[in-house]
Amino acid sequence: MNWRRQRLDRALAIAPWILGGIFGAIAQHLIAILALPTLAPSSFYNRMAARLPLGEVALPPNPAHSAEAGATSAAESGAYPFADPFATLALCRFDLRDGPLRVRAASDGERLFAVSVRLADGTPFYSVTERQSPKGQFNILLVTQAQADDLDEANQDEPGQPLEATTQKKNDAADDERQDASEPAEPAASRAEPADELRLIVPKPRGFVLFRVLSLRESDYAETAARRSTISCTPEKLEP
Amino acid sequence: MTLAAAFGLGLAATIFALQGDPGFNAVKLGPWLLWPRLGSADIDPYARAWLALDGAAPLGAGEGLSFVAREDQNGAKLDSRCDYIIAGATPSARVWTLTAYDVNGRLRPNPAGRYGLISTRLLRSGDGAFVIEAAREARPGNWLPLGQKSRFVLIFRAYDANASATTSGFEGLAMPSITRGACS
Repeated sequence: MNWRRQRLDRALAIAPWILGGIFGAIAQHLIAILALPTLAPSSFYNRMAARLPLGEVALPPNPAHSAEAGATSAAESGAYPFADPFATLALCRFDLRDGPLRVRAASDGERLFAVSVRLADGTPFYSVTERQSPKGQFNILLVTQAQADDLDEANQDEPGQPLEATTQKKNDAADDERQDASEPAEPAASRAEPADELRLIVPKPRGFVLFRVLSLRESDYAETAARRSTISCTPEKLEP
Repeated sequence: MTLAAAFGLGLAATIFALQGDPGFNAVKLGPWLLWPRLGSADIDPYARAWLALDGAAPLGAGEGLSFVAREDQNGAKLDSRCDYIIAGATPSARVWTLTAYDVNGRLRPNPAGRYGLISTRLLRSGDGAFVIEAAREARPGNWLPLGQKSRFVLIFRAYDANASATTSGFEGLAMPSITRGACS
């Protein structure tokens, strides 16, 4: 009887350790899965975007050229894996902690032009092609929830003011390019969003905007890369 | 001891989970696989971790759909020592591209300097049908060159595809077949 009791005691003494081990393993696994997207140096954001100055538009190397150069690894060629040889990429980084980012781009009406907003952890938060954009032009303002609230508040602050003043105030806050969009003092212009602006509330402050232009043939790369001149990413300041 | 065991187990589970395919909810259309959530904001944490290790930036849901094939119509692994015929219906899209990669996602160097095919420049018969021949040696017509390494992966990207981002929306989608021909 006594030896049985002893064995039970021993088993009971080990049990917490085994349970602890299992829970530890699960915890470690979950932490690894959740931390990898931001920590992995191989992620698209960490390799291509993390070191870009705000406002700069970068053009990753042509994947076909990297292949011809006989690069043995993606890291060596500066390229990214599973690149479509017909797609030319451009990207810019955003960090909304300092203020919103205005993204502008124009398609040539012929080549497919896609814009996607991705978080630093790789989440493709928003994506669209020029077909779904008015006149094939992109005018996207990336903001955090707090910045969106500030913008709305700024517009509701003076309900008694004539429309002119609201428009003026808005123009002060925005860059010059926005002026023509908001010039007509229509009811729509009294809101913070000009008709062609898409205001996107981004759930996390850091990430990148990816532009994808599809060539009509592979040798089109240079022509397509020229589309980059239509792309701008401009950090904006909110009025205090 | 317990700590070490926990660490080892956790690590093993993580490595195991991130091998192979990006997460759950794959849609299978013949030999083609599609992960609809990979391009949307509701991507799952495993797919996100997989993507971070992979280093790619897959098509967003609003950009299009990308389908991956590692096997032929009969379930045999794609092997560049063989020839393949790729033909049949394609999902409705504004434009699509077909590209061959090695298993690490690199384009495969070939003397023709051709890395993929695009729907707008395919040779088609009168009724719009097309036949693509994937092979190491040059072929007349729509030739997709295969590199020297035997294992390869095909990716079919349908840009501006007409399909909703839900799993059920993909059931009626048609994809071309991949039929193995002669092997050397």
